[in-house]
Amino acid sequence: MKKTSILDVISRKLSPFILLFGFYLVTYGHLSPGGGFQGGVVIASGIVLLLLCQGTERVQKLFPLTAVSFTEALGFFAFLAMGFLGIFLGSGYLSNFLPIGTPGEVPSAGFILVLNIVIGLKVGAGITLICFYLFKEED
Amino acid sequence: MLRIYLILILFLLGVFGIILCRNLIKKVIALNIINSALIILFIYLGSLSGDEAPILLDQTGIIVDPVPQALMLTAIVVGICVTALALSLVYKLYKAYGTLDIQEIEKKARENA
Amino acid sequence: MKRIPQIVVLVIFSAFLFYSLQVDSPAPQKARDYLLQNGPKETGAVNLVTSIYLGYRAFDTLGETIVLLVSVSGVVYFIGKKQ
Repeated sequence: MKKTSILDVISRKLSPFILLFGFYLVTYGHLSPGGGFQGGVVIASGIVLLLLCQGTERVQKLFPLTAVSFTEALGFFAFLAMGFLGIFLGSGYLSNFLPIGTPGEVPSAGFILVLNIVIGLKVGAGITLICFYLFKEED
Repeated sequence: MLRIYLILILFLLGVFGIILCRNLIKKVIALNIINSALIILFIYLGSLSGDEAPILLDQTGIIVDPVPQALMLTAIVVGICVTALALSLVYKLYKAYGTLDIQEIEKKARENA
Repeated sequence: MKRIPQIVVLVIFSAFLFYSLQVDSPAPQKARDYLLQNGPKETGAVNLVTSIYLGYRAFDTLGETIVLLVSVSGVVYFIGKKQ
């Protein structure tokens, strides 16, 4: 069955907006519905749309497999490191040590913003990696 | 009360599907249905105590209980991980035996061993 | 017709579930009242769900990231490297 060019054009035009929406959900996670996990899955779905419509070789030039694996492992260790910083600068493991500002603005929640970004990157990279390996074709 | 029974029917559809279906992919889909039915049950039982979303920017009513929603976030992610590992196991079974029917796989495994 | 024992067990199981879900208890209120008063002051997040799973109980979120890491390495092990 011949593939038309509709999938090609629409996936390339639509997927940057999906990635932008995913980053908005991650960053405004403490002010409106959203958060690390929800935004991470939307980021992964933007990349998976490209993966379904273009094939795995063309997407690997933009998101190489080693970079995605490295992002995921780095996200996990960043979460652990934030916990240990909580021991040194605060009152226990994973305690809130950055200043809490006025509620209602973006940099106002202590370290919840940093944790949201770390979790968003980790979940996005993890689900992208699962889909990369499940879509691989036999040669 | 009727709503709790409907959610229970969804859960029982999943359990019937795991036991009575012969295709491996249908078993994995039924596992996912069980997961979703339990998540819906917890969030529904938590929403009986109010009528607004638990975000404090400008609210006009009583908010619902936010604790079950925070716990079900973890449950959703664990469901994704279980489905991914189950699908990769189905792929290994297909490559080893050449079919997706569980009774034929059992017959071939008994002949080989 | 070869699956009569399985269907009988499933019917008994579903009857037991229908009987045991007759709940009439009132909805819980203490957690919601406490979080309404002290949530934004202690953690700074206006979204109460975020303040629960990243402020009061961040350790469960660490466990969940461990589950994701183990599942991704399981999928990579089963399906194999890209050649």
